[in-house]
Amino acid sequence: MRNIWLIIRREYLERVRTRSFLILTLLVPGIMTVVMMLPAKLATMGEKTQRLVVVTSTPQFGEMVRQRFLSASTDTDEDEEESPDTNAAKKKPDEEYSIDVDANPTEAERAVLRDKVTSQAIDGYLWLSDEAIASGKVTWASRNMAGFGERSHLSAILNRILQYQRLSANGLNTDQAERLLKPVKVEAVRLERGRESKGGGGGKFLEVVVMVMLLYMAVLLYGISVMRSVLEEKNSRILEVLLSSATSTELMTGKLLGVGAVGLTQILVWVVIAGVFALPAMAMQPSFSELQIPLGVLLAFAIFFLLGYLLYSTMYATIGAITTTEQEGQQLQFFVVIPLVLSVFMLAPVVRSPDAPLVVWLSMVPFFAPVLMYARIVVQTPPLWQIALCLALLIATIAGLLVLCARIYRIGILIYGKRPNLPEILKWVKYAKA
Amino acid sequence: MASTRPPALPSSSTQHSGAGGTVQLTSVRKCYGDFVAVDNLSLSIKPGRIYGLLGPNGAGKTSTLRMIIGIIVPDSGQISVFGETLKLAHKDRFGYLPEERGLYKKMKVLEHLLLLAQLKGLSSHEALKRARSWCERFELSAWTGKKVEELSKGMQQKVQFIGAVLHDPELIVMDEPFSGLDPASTVVLKDVLLELAKSGKTILLSTHGMDQAEKLCHSICLVNHGRAVLEGDLSQIKAGYGKCNVQIKYDGDARFLQESRLVQSFNDYGNYVEVRLAPGADTQELLKLASAGARLSKFEVMEPSLEEIFIDAVSKPAVSKPAVSQPTVKSNA
Repeated sequence: MRNIWLIIRREYLERVRTRSFLILTLLVPGIMTVVMMLPAKLATMGEKTQRLVVVTSTPQFGEMVRQRFLSASTDTDEDEEESPDTNAAKKKPDEEYSIDVDANPTEAERAVLRDKVTSQAIDGYLWLSDEAIASGKVTWASRNMAGFGERSHLSAILNRILQYQRLSANGLNTDQAERLLKPVKVEAVRLERGRESKGGGGGKFLEVVVMVMLLYMAVLLYGISVMRSVLEEKNSRILEVLLSSATSTELMTGKLLGVGAVGLTQILVWVVIAGVFALPAMAMQPSFSELQIPLGVLLAFAIFFLLGYLLYSTMYATIGAITTTEQEGQQLQFFVVIPLVLSVFMLAPVVRSPDAPLVVWLSMVPFFAPVLMYARIVVQTPPLWQIALCLALLIATIAGLLVLCARIYRIGILIYGKRPNLPEILKWVKYAKA
Repeated sequence: MASTRPPALPSSSTQHSGAGGTVQLTSVRKCYGDFVAVDNLSLSIKPGRIYGLLGPNGAGKTSTLRMIIGIIVPDSGQISVFGETLKLAHKDRFGYLPEERGLYKKMKVLEHLLLLAQLKGLSSHEALKRARSWCERFELSAWTGKKVEELSKGMQQKVQFIGAVLHDPELIVMDEPFSGLDPASTVVLKDVLLELAKSGKTILLSTHGMDQAEKLCHSICLVNHGRAVLEGDLSQIKAGYGKCNVQIKYDGDARFLQESRLVQSFNDYGNYVEVRLAPGADTQELLKLASAGARLSKFEVMEPSLEEIFIDAVSKPAVSKPAVSQPTVKSNA
């Protein structure tokens, strides 16, 4: 145990003290921030006050449209579900729109407005002539077609107004019309052991994607580092010195746990940075504040991340033990990345039907389990025995691979310059039992 | 020539004879695939001795050392150390110096030494104390804060050596300890080895430098093609060969060297010739013959050098051996 601890400490300190660790630890949150901020920034950049003209033969109707459009932000129950793109448009409508009502729906006026749009005097006009309303097809003309969100927003507003108008034309007062038109909102509720929790599917999927991304990054960053250090030890004969003091299993275990601790440290730092800087900003976004991750899922995340990371690192270590140069190792890297990529491909069907027999058994396969079983837990907690079996298989695979790898590693010191073929490796594994 | 050789230790050799010694190999065999690296090797190393494992490249020296410290396992045969069958628990009582440098390049010297010592069971406090004093001795004190890769090859070799002895092991196993050292460092290392042996440590080293072994070792084992060609106390081995060598420094007619009745073989070193006498030859007769044609400035009867013994021992069985050993290789494959 003492030896394992000493190796863990060495591997940990060696990596944490490097400049690249520091740079990476600070750079990734920076890049992430830019990546997350940039689209929002770009979206708001082009936005200035939009000058619109509503053309209608009845000024009252135009005024209603104007009112509705400008006060759309308070009108929450109407089209919230419809398209998230309208969020931006709804935020501060008074600042972003100035709307004039034009009570002259003639072709001549239309030509004038067209010219105004072209000369950028106005940004667009809404053609609401009586004929257009009667035919159910109104025209929204603007310079660019980018305002897709605005279009659906507009159409929702117009529909609402027209519905009111038609109802009041049939003798209903505003209250009655309001009651009749009250929309039904579908609320997603997740049932878990009799308890209800809010939250749509989008948030759940996000949790899984975050897991996959973190796992993928950690594996790629530190798995290769494990492989490289195994190769270095083999090639520099430090392995011989170490083997004269400790067993190869101790060395391998210490190395993997040490590197594992480095990965966890890095992610912990990122989480803390995210907590300090990003959470206050995120809390303001309604879709994020809804994202309440239950404790069980957090625990599952920690366990499956750690085990997945150990599994893939062990695979990298095994590659390092088999090969003699880094190029060779990189060719074999394929075998590590493929299961990871495959499990990402399988993610969608798993989230859709987490109970399907094929999904259940695929999520038990140790190489897919870190992603798939975790996804199942997030979407719908599977039976406890399945989780237990999955964890047992995963841990057994890691332990088995570790022993196998340690054996190959030990024998590996005797060969230089040639990659062993499969029968040779099997022979070593059998031989190294002693 | 053999002036720096430590006094032989006749007392210890009688004391421990039959006790098995610090290291005992019995019929050890090791193959890598079809290649037999060590073949039926038996040897016994007594405590407090410097034991040299000699032989040409590829003779099986490194494999033998690796088996003794338990890095690799013999295919057959027995290895016992400190009177017991080799097991994991013995590891802390060994110190090992590999042939090529085996250090983490990015680690600082002092930290590296601490790691190695702690892996051998030393407390960090004790390890630090000892590392400091060893570094002082090898004039490395100014370098303890530097990374290993910043050191010269010879300095790395010193660090490696300190790492091997820091935990005060009873058995120190060294693979080619002198390779890459400058003459001054060689002397320092040699002195340290002698001192360690005097304090009761057993030292096993491999080398293909016969000079070095001749100066330093009490006992030797000559290996060739994985087999022991000669094993035992150096003084006894030499005595067994008798005083059948003559060193001659001459000027003039060299025809006396061709006299096959007296001269079995000779080796011309430029400044002098070393002559191996034919069996039953008389040195007086050679002196007469040589002085008849040439002017002699030196004529000395002496023991054969280890190099000659080695060449002699290797060349004789080498003729017959491959014929015997190769069929066994094939049958075992």
